[in-house]
Amino acid sequence: MASCTQLPESGVILNLRNLFDITTAADRFLFLILFMLSISGIFFVRELLPESRSVLIDVNGKTAYVFPLQENRTIAVEGPQGRTIVEIKGNRVRIIDSPCPHKLCVKQGWIQKGSLVCLPNSVVITIQGPESDDRGIDAVTR
Amino acid sequence: MDTFVTITVVARTSTGADEAIDKAFHEIERLEKAATFYSPDSEISRINLNAGTSPVKVSPDILDLLTKARQVSEVTDGAFDLTIGPVISLYDFRNEINPGNSEVREALSLVGYRNMSINREQSTVFLRKSGMLIDAGGIMKGYAAGRAAEVLKKHGIRSGIVAVAGDIRTFGLKPDGKPWRVGIRHPRGKGQDDIIGVIQLSDMSISTSGDYERFFVLNGRRIHHLISPKTGYPAEGCQSVSIVSPDGAFADAYSTAIFILGPEKGLKAIEKAGLEGIIIDRNGIVHATPGIRGYLELTESL
Repeated sequence: MASCTQLPESGVILNLRNLFDITTAADRFLFLILFMLSISGIFFVRELLPESRSVLIDVNGKTAYVFPLQENRTIAVEGPQGRTIVEIKGNRVRIIDSPCPHKLCVKQGWIQKGSLVCLPNSVVITIQGPESDDRGIDAVTR
Repeated sequence: MDTFVTITVVARTSTGADEAIDKAFHEIERLEKAATFYSPDSEISRINLNAGTSPVKVSPDILDLLTKARQVSEVTDGAFDLTIGPVISLYDFRNEINPGNSEVREALSLVGYRNMSINREQSTVFLRKSGMLIDAGGIMKGYAAGRAAEVLKKHGIRSGIVAVAGDIRTFGLKPDGKPWRVGIRHPRGKGQDDIIGVIQLSDMSISTSGDYERFFVLNGRRIHHLISPKTGYPAEGCQSVSIVSPDGAFADAYSTAIFILGPEKGLKAIEKAGLEGIIIDRNGIVHATPGIRGYLELTESL
């Protein structure tokens, strides 16, 4: 019985040295393979799974910000007329406020795909991702 | 109308845009009604019914359409010919009926745009031989797309894209300040949205003629609707031809004409007419004119 209580003790004290002692070459090879496999998984997942959708914010025709659609945040986008306040929440986007006379962009409300435009402040917000035509085609001639 | 029309516009408010789009749709419908081959009371049908008998008074639209068609016929030495009607009528693509040689020869004697006389002063059109038939199918959709764009502009729309089936008219730029992106159908692709590449266009029309639109296969040969007005048989040099022009009717008519001419003569004719285009020849090789190479991205090598 006494020998039985001793066994876990030697098993518990796992420093690198006795890990090396209690494993065979085959074990270590297996560990190495598993380790490499788990690292490569990061890249495989990136390749195989569709990329998440993103929110593209253009000011004056130039891309100013790109944010993931699934992260909630509120941003003040500096345009020529002032700040356009954009909110990303629950996979949707809206313009909360903008320095334009008619607030048409604000009235558009939440969008889940397509784009929001504040022409007076030259801000264009586009949701990009698998749901839109990722080839970016407007028509097909046939 | 059995064609699929889509209109996309860029506007500040949807109310004004909706009205403009409505008007543009009506314009297409109106033109289609006047030019259709299939309804006996269209203007084109009235011209056909009075062939060999009397000149027929037509609307300014049809006069304009037929004048443009005749121009293309003259420049391409009859490779595009609206009066191909009697020959086209012999082919039945749905029931896969291929006409016999003697039938084709007989019908060909009625084909010839020079026997379509247009009197602009009196707004009349006269087909000189009885039995002649105009089929405006090869110019109508491009013309309609162009006219619809004019209607949109008249209603204050500064940017948009009109697609009457595969005949596209673009004007202005997209909200991001970039040109419109038009896909070019893969002539041997699986679906009609399968493309070989994308061309960027602004204030231009593009039309495509392909041997995949209406066809059947007989003894290993593809019998399609792009019939040569000279031989009466389907032209064999190309799989598809896309033409870019500021004028929708010209884009449409020239795409047919160039297809009939084949890749070599076709490329020369495109240049002669001052147009740009893409020819996919019978071997699937893509030929693009120098002027559009910078605007064309080929996504698939054939």
